[in-house]
Amino acid sequence: MATLAIPATDTGRDTPPAAPATRRRGHRGGSKAGKPGPVTYTLLTLVALVSIFPLYWTLVAGSHTNAEIAATPPPFLPNASLFDNFRAALDQAPIGKAIINSVLVSGSITVGTVLFCTLAGFAFAKLQFRGKGLLLSLVIGTMMVPTQLAVIPLFMMIAELQWVNQLQAVILPTLVSAFGVFFMRQYLISALPNELLEAGRVDGASTFRIFWSIVVPVARPAMAVLAMLTFLTAWNEFFWPLIALTTANPTVQVALAGLGSGYVPQRSVIMAGTLLGTLPVLIVFTILGKQIVGGIMQGAVKG
Amino acid sequence: MATVSFQQASRIYPKSERPAVDSLDLQIADGEFLVLVGPSGCGKSTSLRMLAGLEEVDSGSIVIGDRDVTDSPPKERDIAMVFQNYALYPHMTVEENMGFALKLAGISKDERATRVREAAKILDLSDYLSRRPKALSGGQRQRVAMGRAIVRNPQVFLMDEPLSNLDAKLRVQTRTQIAALQRRLGTTTVYVTHDQVEAMTMGDRVAVLKDGVLQQCDTPGVLYDRPANVFVAGFIGSPAMNLVTGDAVDGGVQVGSAVLPVPRDQLTRAAASNGKVTVGFRPEAVRLTGPGEGLPVRVNVVEQLGSDAFLYTSLADAPDDVLHSADLVVRTEPRTPVASGQQLWLGTDHGALHVFDAQTQQRVD
Repeated sequence: MATLAIPATDTGRDTPPAAPATRRRGHRGGSKAGKPGPVTYTLLTLVALVSIFPLYWTLVAGSHTNAEIAATPPPFLPNASLFDNFRAALDQAPIGKAIINSVLVSGSITVGTVLFCTLAGFAFAKLQFRGKGLLLSLVIGTMMVPTQLAVIPLFMMIAELQWVNQLQAVILPTLVSAFGVFFMRQYLISALPNELLEAGRVDGASTFRIFWSIVVPVARPAMAVLAMLTFLTAWNEFFWPLIALTTANPTVQVALAGLGSGYVPQRSVIMAGTLLGTLPVLIVFTILGKQIVGGIMQGAVKG
Repeated sequence: MATVSFQQASRIYPKSERPAVDSLDLQIADGEFLVLVGPSGCGKSTSLRMLAGLEEVDSGSIVIGDRDVTDSPPKERDIAMVFQNYALYPHMTVEENMGFALKLAGISKDERATRVREAAKILDLSDYLSRRPKALSGGQRQRVAMGRAIVRNPQVFLMDEPLSNLDAKLRVQTRTQIAALQRRLGTTTVYVTHDQVEAMTMGDRVAVLKDGVLQQCDTPGVLYDRPANVFVAGFIGSPAMNLVTGDAVDGGVQVGSAVLPVPRDQLTRAAASNGKVTVGFRPEAVRLTGPGEGLPVRVNVVEQLGSDAFLYTSLADAPDDVLHSADLVVRTEPRTPVASGQQLWLGTDHGALHVFDAQTQQRVD
């Protein structure tokens, strides 16, 4: 028993000098991980170039004639014919109207999806109700059904409602998404402590008030990510808008499909039109990108 | 301000057979500071949450003042709660955090500001009103959580281990501040902790729970001097009471080769179940005696605390059937010349022995 006590005091005496050594070692490792080397930079530059190239090629191809693009070697710098091609594209399809339509459609879908998915995600994450597990599996199950299967019944429904060629025909079916519900649920499960909701209940808030004043501020970073993803998906959506709308009242992607058609496809006009259709999204994300990333970082730190 | 009473209140979690809180009967007087204490999983937090309305009551009832609130939602109970992790709203400033409940209650902006400022002054938070919780230290966050409770001027304060996230020094300091604040406001308070020192120092009365069952509820003094059973005896007090179990023999209880003297009628009643008796004595109720007198023990570790010293000893001739014989703790004068490995003899002060029936674990007087 007496011997037991001696090593205990010995280790006690040894610990203080050992501790700073570990801390120093940890610090050195940390700074090494914090400063990326030339290899990382080279890799990142390569990835960036590969991602940017298609966009750059759209610009280059859109600013030449068909013949110039076909030449060997192909041109690598933009040219002044860009505005001629823009004019040709605008003549061939109502791209201006299409951009307005796309902004309306993608904007409504984004607002709707973020709102409804956050509501449903909160309910699935934190509220207790009968049949919760079953409902959630149903929601997730819908992700396994291909969109194409729903096209015919959906078209019959909008035809019945006389919504063919109306924007609500492309907005309403995608106002909420199973992915979004699941995404918000997963985020709220980990980011929203139950105590916060209980504090709200003790403070006298109704469930809706708790959602509005406590859940939404906490969920903001995930909502921003979902908004970004949803907006892009909606903007790029082609299949369903092509069926539900006509070239007289198109979204951007439907309008682009009508471009440069003829015996020989006019690639340069298609590319110029594509550039016009992509610009609004590029501008929005150049301006908002920083804030969206900022929101994500803020949320991460706040935890 | 109001009285609180638990009447046969039980909570059984779904998919669990054993109740988390089992027929709890507890009367809390107006303005009283009651502490619920027990080891983890004893049902103390569940009891508090039942009172808050955050946990269902499966049977029995809970009354605040003269209102049965068993089935009322939290907002109708006029209670305020301080959570273990404070649960401050991260996106609101200190002022907004403290004023949120008042805002929901429809109190005007001016009055809200006045009440928040008053509370902030009491809690020394006036300089931090525009900060977010993120920019506060642990102690400040704890005070904001307190502030959020006191601005509401509720009938009952509920506190769920509010000090457990603070460091040891701050915990002792905040402990006295909370107790003083409660006396000043005079609001009925139910306080949950697993720390028996917190319980003893803060509570007007302390309720000890184990496995969902109330063991004893009394003033700290009575809990310490007359624990109702072996569990309370071992739980209250630091270092814990020494408990040894042995056979009842003529004149007392056989512990190793020695006999601890127990009065005859007490011994008879304690040994009634199975002939074995558990005796307890506190570290400070033990004297060092001369060689051959009392319990022979060997010293394992000597802890010098400055104001006093604790000897951690074990029975020198411990037979295998003696329970709890691993450690007998003795408080002595500081700087007593005792070394590890030394053999000593212990005697207990007259009347300092607590006697329990070894089978039922209940106290016998």
